[in-house]
Amino acid sequence: MSALTLELRTNPDQRIDLSPLTPSALAGMKSKDIEAIAVGTAHPTLTVGDVFKLKGADAAKLRFAGTSATCDFIGQGLTEGEIVVDGDAGAYLGSKMRAGKIIVSGSAGPLAGASMRGGRIDIARNAGEKAGGIAVGEAHGMRGGRLSIGGRAGALLGEKMRRGLIIGRGGADDYVGARMIAGTILLKGRIGRWPGYGLRRGSLILDKEPKDLLPTFGDCGTLDFTWLRLLDRELKATGGRFRVGYRARRLMGDMAVLGKGEMLILA
Amino acid sequence: MAKLKIKGVEIIDTFAEAFPMVGTRIIITAPTQKWALIAAQTMTGFATSVIACGAEAGIERLVRAEETLDGRPGMAVLLFTMDVNKLQTQLRNRVGQCVLTSPGSACYAGLEGEKKLKLGASLRFFGDGWQMSKVIGGRRFWRIPAMDGEFVCEQTTGLTKKAVGGGNLLVLGRSHRAVLAACERAVKAISEVPDVITPFPGGIVRSGSKVGSKYKGQIASTNDVYCPTLKAAVNTALPANVEAVMEIVIDGLSAPAIAAAMRAGVFAIAKGGAGEGITHITAGNYGGNLGPHHFHLKEIVA
Repeated sequence: MSALTLELRTNPDQRIDLSPLTPSALAGMKSKDIEAIAVGTAHPTLTVGDVFKLKGADAAKLRFAGTSATCDFIGQGLTEGEIVVDGDAGAYLGSKMRAGKIIVSGSAGPLAGASMRGGRIDIARNAGEKAGGIAVGEAHGMRGGRLSIGGRAGALLGEKMRRGLIIGRGGADDYVGARMIAGTILLKGRIGRWPGYGLRRGSLILDKEPKDLLPTFGDCGTLDFTWLRLLDRELKATGGRFRVGYRARRLMGDMAVLGKGEMLILA
Repeated sequence: MAKLKIKGVEIIDTFAEAFPMVGTRIIITAPTQKWALIAAQTMTGFATSVIACGAEAGIERLVRAEETLDGRPGMAVLLFTMDVNKLQTQLRNRVGQCVLTSPGSACYAGLEGEKKLKLGASLRFFGDGWQMSKVIGGRRFWRIPAMDGEFVCEQTTGLTKKAVGGGNLLVLGRSHRAVLAACERAVKAISEVPDVITPFPGGIVRSGSKVGSKYKGQIASTNDVYCPTLKAAVNTALPANVEAVMEIVIDGLSAPAIAAAMRAGVFAIAKGGAGEGITHITAGNYGGNLGPHHFHLKEIVA
């Protein structure tokens, strides 16, 4: 059975909410019923049939094609299965998801992976602000799983994150890991001002020293870290495409708050 | 019935009587194989018999750098006790005093299993609030700051309640030298068998014991029927020409592992043949009423 594919007909003139379209919600549904699901956010109410052309039937592997930045909430609260997005995704991609996998060939809007608890999101290009951050109504940011961003991430990446791993290959804007409680953010490339602002615990692993460092980070020198070897091996085994090695300069902070976090600048 | 002989060494038709134990495995890594070995040897020191050591422990095998979680050389260690609480206490104390303290060490789970023993979960408190937890690949590790960097220790390790302690072989020979050489061969052969250890010094016990004593409060005493110097005084189990007896005690994570180890041991002992001075291979039991596991030598070598 081929993957259930939803191809965008034309870009709708309103934002659309695709949160009802998850593999578990669509399992066993007829195309006619799927086409009747409301996805609009304004009048007149748009349905799946108005916006998408349906092909295939296997909802366990759901595919969106030709999507744009107005397609919000793709894979929100995902609990199983796989969603492939051939195109861009709007806001809240995979927010609050618990398991499963989302793969985006383009870019994602703000709050990708916000308050996610598990599973994996791979965004080939850029992510908007607050990726891995706090979804509306949630107390914490990302709480588990893995968020990979091939391009650049917006500001406040991993805001108030508690657990999990974020990998960014194209740098990020200001306030990376702001108010982070725990977890790991791995970043290559140019990053904006004040990374680790309000960092309580958790690790920001950077390939080079950021230009604008908060004065509330203290230098512990360059050291060997056994746990980086564990991370390196895990990345290698799971296609993380990021060499960590085992040696890094450790800056502790943010001393303005708890100060038990770290910025590891890879040696 | 014809006597069973391997290369002229008589295999006595008897059985080893063994007991259920609880066991676990951990993997210790270090910057070099030498330091992984030192940590593992220290942790498994004074762990020959639960009678007075609290636990029975030993090095199961060397773990190559490519096989370990952190890519550094390591050692696999097995630890056994009679119940889960004692195993937990022994694991915490031994890892805390002997592995945590060893330069550059790290410590990981070596056994899966639904039941878990705390590892880093209790040792993390050494970090005095500076410890950090990291979940990598679904497993939780603790980073505990130490004077040479960080001690990395997995949160838990698995345990098995199907472990077996007290698998054994008794080796009888015409000279001390011959018996020692044969037992050394056997211990080496057994070390190649997975899931088992030989907890006594160099894997060999020279002071096999019997239950009880003439002295009040002495729970075990010398196995006089196997002592060559007492042949004339007791109901000896030894032929006149036997000068020495040594025992190999085996603990394993499962009964089949013990059987495989005993088999490897028997063939390694008999390898030199009767001409080398080994006369008999037998096994220790208490009549079969105490331990539920019976390893019959006849079946082991079949």
